[in-house]
Amino acid sequence: MTAKRLSAPTLLLLPAVLVLAAVVVVPLCLSFYSSFTPFRLTRPETFFTFIGLRNYRNILSDANFWWAFGRTVLLLTIALNLEMLLGLGLALLVEKASRGQRLLRTIMMFPMMFSPILVGFQFKFMFNDNIGLVNNALQSLGLTRDAIPWLIEGHLAFIAISIAEIWSSTSIFAILILAGLLAMPKEPVEAARVDGCTPWQTFRYVTWPFIMPFAYIAMTIRSLDVARAYDIVKIMTDGGPAGRTELLWTLVARTAYSDARMGVANAMAYFSILLSIVFTVYFFKKLAAARTQIGAEW
Amino acid sequence: MDANASARLKRSAATIAHRIGLFLAMLLICLPGIWIVLSSLRPTVEILAKPPVWIPQQVSLDAYIAMFSGVGKGGIPVLDYFRNSLIISITSTVIAIAIGMAGGYAFARYRFRGKSAMFLGLMLTRTVPGIALSLPLFFVYARLDIIDTHFGLILAYVALNVPFTIWLIDGFFRQVPKDLAEAAQIDGCTRWQAFWQVEFPLAGPGIASAGIFAFLTSWNEFALASQLTRSINSKTLPVGLLDYTAEFTIDWRGMCALAVVMIIPALILTFIVQKHLVGGLTSGAVKG
Repeated sequence: MTAKRLSAPTLLLLPAVLVLAAVVVVPLCLSFYSSFTPFRLTRPETFFTFIGLRNYRNILSDANFWWAFGRTVLLLTIALNLEMLLGLGLALLVEKASRGQRLLRTIMMFPMMFSPILVGFQFKFMFNDNIGLVNNALQSLGLTRDAIPWLIEGHLAFIAISIAEIWSSTSIFAILILAGLLAMPKEPVEAARVDGCTPWQTFRYVTWPFIMPFAYIAMTIRSLDVARAYDIVKIMTDGGPAGRTELLWTLVARTAYSDARMGVANAMAYFSILLSIVFTVYFFKKLAAARTQIGAEW
Repeated sequence: MDANASARLKRSAATIAHRIGLFLAMLLICLPGIWIVLSSLRPTVEILAKPPVWIPQQVSLDAYIAMFSGVGKGGIPVLDYFRNSLIISITSTVIAIAIGMAGGYAFARYRFRGKSAMFLGLMLTRTVPGIALSLPLFFVYARLDIIDTHFGLILAYVALNVPFTIWLIDGFFRQVPKDLAEAAQIDGCTRWQAFWQVEFPLAGPGIASAGIFAFLTSWNEFALASQLTRSINSKTLPVGLLDYTAEFTIDWRGMCALAVVMIIPALILTFIVQKHLVGGLTSGAVKG
């Protein structure tokens, strides 16, 4: 091969590719390899023992793993759908407001500033069975006499975590959908009204297709960091009580660092990576589709 | 009642319903934050009181004073954590922006083979959950002996921020008309000069907000930091907060104060960028 000069885009993208290769791709290849070994941190020599698919067979026949996997998917499904709905509602409410739009939008961004660990902490505080705001309010209003064990009972803990997750991410949907609503031309809506559409029809067939790409952008952004839920669960319940709120990510962390079984943990981690990639690619495709659909009309 | 009056009544009822809905939504959004701030200012006795004390009787800054007065006075080394967080976040942001600007410019201005595959590939590196990435990084870092150093965490955060920074900056450069730079080149600028004199200033605010976004990601990151840090050499605030909650005697007031300290920089920065951020994320929405 002749030595030729690198083209400009190659040169410009080189640093990004190098950093990502060094910090993400190469380590991931390493962890992919180690998922075929019985690697333990405490015994480095096990890194070179090859055991084929045994780790994968083990976790696939492990009920705890499947529970965590199912719970993760359930949490994501509930959270993403509710965030979408609430975000849409919030955006519509704010868009209709005649005064104080700027202030409302600023308040709407509020939860975005909270790091997941802070969200987890504040909801841990609010859902505390003894001194938490939620129980205090319920008791003061006379709705319940006993303290509700929010973070101590399995199902309630799952609900509390979902609420924390939804609180923290609804605003991303709301802001992006609001941006879509504001960018939308007003004529089609007026035309639909003149033609005698009900408000519901106007929304469903005119407004909704317009804001769809914005909703998918929000979905894509969210799916890029769905694993934020790890932070929230870690601080709120740490997978407890008795593993009832264990998600894929907390299970990976526990297996790797507490049990020091790196090989198995890496095998599990690949499932969580796969899950994230499936989510992201799915929404990215949807985004591209919604974009071209609109492109034809605009 | 005639139709006119009933329509008017219906409309004002809708307005009132809208106002109430809006108020409740905003209350739900603000309440947790307000409660944390309030709890950081009141004595522990009031937080623990049964029946609950809703309106603070005494307000003081004791928790903050205790927190910043050093390790000895029942606090965690907040100042060290704060410094670590600041150093790591700022350095990684600056590097990520430099790399992201080059990459974003390449995506916005050049055509090359496999462009969209490349873009998707960059985004996919971002989908790797922090905790899944922390396993091999932990192993590699242990070998290179850079666990519990600023350098290690900065490197990880740069990689974490680059894909998203490229996405945002790509969008901002697309908003700058190509013609401007071309005009400058016709007038005798080199491409390099045209970039710095024309395109960079125009995309500047957008790039700044991409930077703030990167800063916030690093500032808030927990999953990697919790595994790649060990001591006050490099522990960041989120890890510090978790340490605090894991202690046996839970000091709710102190933790609330720490939470407030964590949120303030994020609060200020988000206010500055909010306008550009939304524009940057959605600029590709309709133009493709």
